[in-house]
Amino acid sequence: MSSLPEKIEQYRQVLNDLAAKTKNIKELEEVKQAFLGRKNGHLTLLFEELKQLPPEEKRAAGIALNNFKMEVQKTLAELEEQCLRPRAEKTVSDLTLPGKRIYWGAPHPLTLFQRKIEKIFVSMGFSVEDGPEIETDYYNFEALNFPPYHPARDSWDTLYINDKLLLRTHTSPVQIRVMEKKKPPIRIIIPGKVYRRETADPTHLPMFHQVEGLVVDRGITFAHLKGTLEYFIKALFGEKVKLRFRPSFFPFTEPSAEVDIECLACHGQDSQCRVCGGTGWKEILGAGLVDPQVFKNVNIDPEKYSGWAFGLGIDRTAMLAYEIPEMRYFYENDLRFLRQFNRR
Amino acid sequence: MNISYDWLKEYIDLNVPPEELAKYFDQIGLMVESTREVNGQTVYEIETYANRPDTLGHLGIARELATLFGLPLKMPGWQLSELEQSTFDLIDIQVLDSQLCPRYCGLVVRGVTVGPSPEWLKKRIEAIGLRPINNIVDIGNYVCFSLGQPLHTFDLNRLKEARIIVRRARKGEFIRTLEGQLVELTPDMLVIADDSKPVALAGIIGGEESGITEKTTDVFIESANFDPVSIRLTAKKLGLSTDASYRFERGVDINAAPLGARMAASLLGQFGGKVSRGLLDVYPNQRKPRSVPLRLKRISELLGIEIPEEFVTRTLTSLGLKLNEQKPGVWVAEIPSFRVDLEREADLIEEIARFFGYDRIPSEVTPTRSFELPGNQEQDCLWLLKETLLHYGFDEVINFSLADPEKEKIWQTGYQPIELRNPISSRTSILRTSLLPGLVENAVWNYNREANGVHIFETGKVYFWEADGQQGEELHLGLLTSGLKEQKSWAQPARETDYFSLKGAIEDLFFYLGYEAPAFEPEDHSFFESGQSVKILTKNETAGYLGLLKPEIRKAYELEKLAYACELNLADLFDRQPRAFVFAPVPRYPGMVRDLSFLVEAQVNFQAIDVQLKKLNVPYLERFEIYDRFEGGSLPAGQISYSVRFFFRHESRTLLAEEVERAMLNIISHLKSTLKIQLR
Ligand SMILES: [Zn+2]
Repeated sequence: MSSLPEKIEQYRQVLNDLAAKTKNIKELEEVKQAFLGRKNGHLTLLFEELKQLPPEEKRAAGIALNNFKMEVQKTLAELEEQCLRPRAEKTVSDLTLPGKRIYWGAPHPLTLFQRKIEKIFVSMGFSVEDGPEIETDYYNFEALNFPPYHPARDSWDTLYINDKLLLRTHTSPVQIRVMEKKKPPIRIIIPGKVYRRETADPTHLPMFHQVEGLVVDRGITFAHLKGTLEYFIKALFGEKVKLRFRPSFFPFTEPSAEVDIECLACHGQDSQCRVCGGTGWKEILGAGLVDPQVFKNVNIDPEKYSGWAFGLGIDRTAMLAYEIPEMRYFYENDLRFLRQFNRR
Repeated sequence: MNISYDWLKEYIDLNVPPEELAKYFDQIGLMVESTREVNGQTVYEIETYANRPDTLGHLGIARELATLFGLPLKMPGWQLSELEQSTFDLIDIQVLDSQLCPRYCGLVVRGVTVGPSPEWLKKRIEAIGLRPINNIVDIGNYVCFSLGQPLHTFDLNRLKEARIIVRRARKGEFIRTLEGQLVELTPDMLVIADDSKPVALAGIIGGEESGITEKTTDVFIESANFDPVSIRLTAKKLGLSTDASYRFERGVDINAAPLGARMAASLLGQFGGKVSRGLLDVYPNQRKPRSVPLRLKRISELLGIEIPEEFVTRTLTSLGLKLNEQKPGVWVAEIPSFRVDLEREADLIEEIARFFGYDRIPSEVTPTRSFELPGNQEQDCLWLLKETLLHYGFDEVINFSLADPEKEKIWQTGYQPIELRNPISSRTSILRTSLLPGLVENAVWNYNREANGVHIFETGKVYFWEADGQQGEELHLGLLTSGLKEQKSWAQPARETDYFSLKGAIEDLFFYLGYEAPAFEPEDHSFFESGQSVKILTKNETAGYLGLLKPEIRKAYELEKLAYACELNLADLFDRQPRAFVFAPVPRYPGMVRDLSFLVEAQVNFQAIDVQLKKLNVPYLERFEIYDRFEGGSLPAGQISYSVRFFFRHESRTLLAEEVERAMLNIISHLKSTLKIQLR
């Protein structure tokens, strides 16, 4: 039987041997267990032995054992740090090199803008509807109170397929389709593609996007139209934007209005401004109370119900919001243009 | 419509300076598009509306301003220096179609000297953007742009038998217009004829042979009213649009005809003219003024504000309406003939709102009695689909629905295209039957502009004739991937896109949208390289195609780089209900993994192995993955080596090794018997 100090010396040797071999946390755990284990750990057993020693030996041996215990703890702590420290090849020599980035595609700006509009109206309890792009003369014009052969149709230059069918010139026919199916209250918006027989210029193309809104209920007034559209435009362009309602004419609304927002490029300060032509205002939407004849066409009693509607060009409004000078950018699909919009 | 400030002052004593008038025009809906200085007078270009022909003359505009400013409207009297002869003695008028010509007025002026207009008249004519021609033509335009009543002047001596017959054209008749154009007439067109032939296209343009010349001395002034629809149809058919037809097709005041004749005759007096006695006025069916009821209560119900009764009566009276009170707050309004647009109570309420000022109507949020449940699954599905593809690095594009029939032919889409009757150009004369042609054009555009990889998608409709002759619209998804997917960087090499990048995106699309995984069956298709495309099937129905675009198509578009593309029918897909989502318990017991490597004949594709393994329904098999595949090298020709990893798990206990071994034996024997695999 060797003495306690001798045993300490033996275990010191064991500790040093193990420390040299230990490469990871799992092995370290084994070393820890071997020395500090509650039942059979070397140190645990040595302390048991210490208790048995006669008092005259106890003091010196106790000091030696406590020193060894501290040594063990220190070695284990050092080993742990060693195991956790990354290997040299896992460290970076130049921390300023560019990081690895993952490319996300860009949504089309019109999709992005349409979604913004949808979100504002959906938060006000509107639902999103759609309808066919190939329409009949009835839904595109007649039901919306455009008499046949009336010059009002001239403002809606039409691409025809045959005598009966045409490409819808606005999203308004969906108003009719919804009112035919559904009884009031109605609260909808209708985004979609529309077509006009127009030669291309900076603000006109044969195809563009529109969003239509329609509310039908008892007691709907022009004041409601104003309040809701003001909220919408401020939600879209910011609280500070100035707007005005001007009387206008559309066959399917009465009274009719057009809404202008102040020119975001010059704020009315530049008489030569290319965005607003110096007027300080940009027309962004047409609106009005639903014409009683439109209600009659869908068997809604205009004495009982009233409603408002609006139509807004998504392309032109997005042009204002993002300061895009020409509409064609939306349809050229140049990646250098499109990819700017993944910074949503 | 050009409106001159000075001209307006003939009818109203304006107390607002010219530079401030524009904002008042805007306020009442007469939108000023531009303001110019012409010969020292301010001219406003005003946007007028199709339902307001009364604003196509200075008098009508002055009436609007008079109402806005509360000023009286001045009506000049027109003095006539008269001849001995009566109009009837000088000209014979017959109106044979009073449907198309409800009123025809005329006067003869004799002894006129044709010559340049005086300065005041030239200034007026230049203000409205026309060129002064001679005093007679200029007076016609002056009256037209004052009253909105188009006139026509004939050289009386060039009218055969001094006779005017208003009738429909006869088949085979022609007229040479004042602009020198020879026009063939048809019986649906109304003409003004003399004893032998048409001398004017009624309400549109005069004929050359009866027009005023420098030698003219005796003038017949026509101031008539024509049916709007007939004028519009004729003008459209002949591709003619004149100041006269523009007004007639919108509806000219039936009572302006006598006034127009008198005004022109009076002015011709300044050039030596003497006027025939007695206005000729053929007006067989006199029109009664329209009556429209109006309720004060209804005004506030629709506008959302109480408007004082005094404001209502003052405004409408100033606009020329006569209000007859039935009981307090209820009127019947008699509409003046120049306001063809006022037919219903709502029209009158608009007038009140317009002059009250839209800015004085309060703004209130629209109240709600009930909310719809959030619906329209298609919108949500579409956005989720887009987000998934954006995440995969595809950029979204939007192309025109109008397509080039020649280019679409190359694709053989199998759809019957819809042609436009009046296309803008032959290159945009049909509606697209596939999204891929647009995507290929986008790829070319971008390759020509510095791009070295193009990964794009579009969602949109394609259009076609159905077998039953009905028009069809179908929502599609198109994808195209070509060139570099990842650029070379200091940290990693460049990576090209490939077939599997596209297929993976489609597989994940179905996964994220909650639809059952589709099947991919190798099948040739007109878009793709032979042997390099698959048909995508959902529930055994074709949903689309995916593959490597064939060289003929790339050549037609000058796309040099290889491109993989896919087109999916979303309409059918979105019609299906995605699987309802509920969570699956997280595994509580450890799983076991076994690998299997085997050889199989090259004609056996992975889908065949996949189908067999799924068919087998192995107990505790959670999933399996192919983790290695190769051919050639040391392998026998015609053989492929697959390595598949199998994951087993029991949901409520730890699996026993024997259970897994038994399952593996089962798998091996099944694959041996069905696909003749050889273990490696
Ligand atoms: Zn501006």
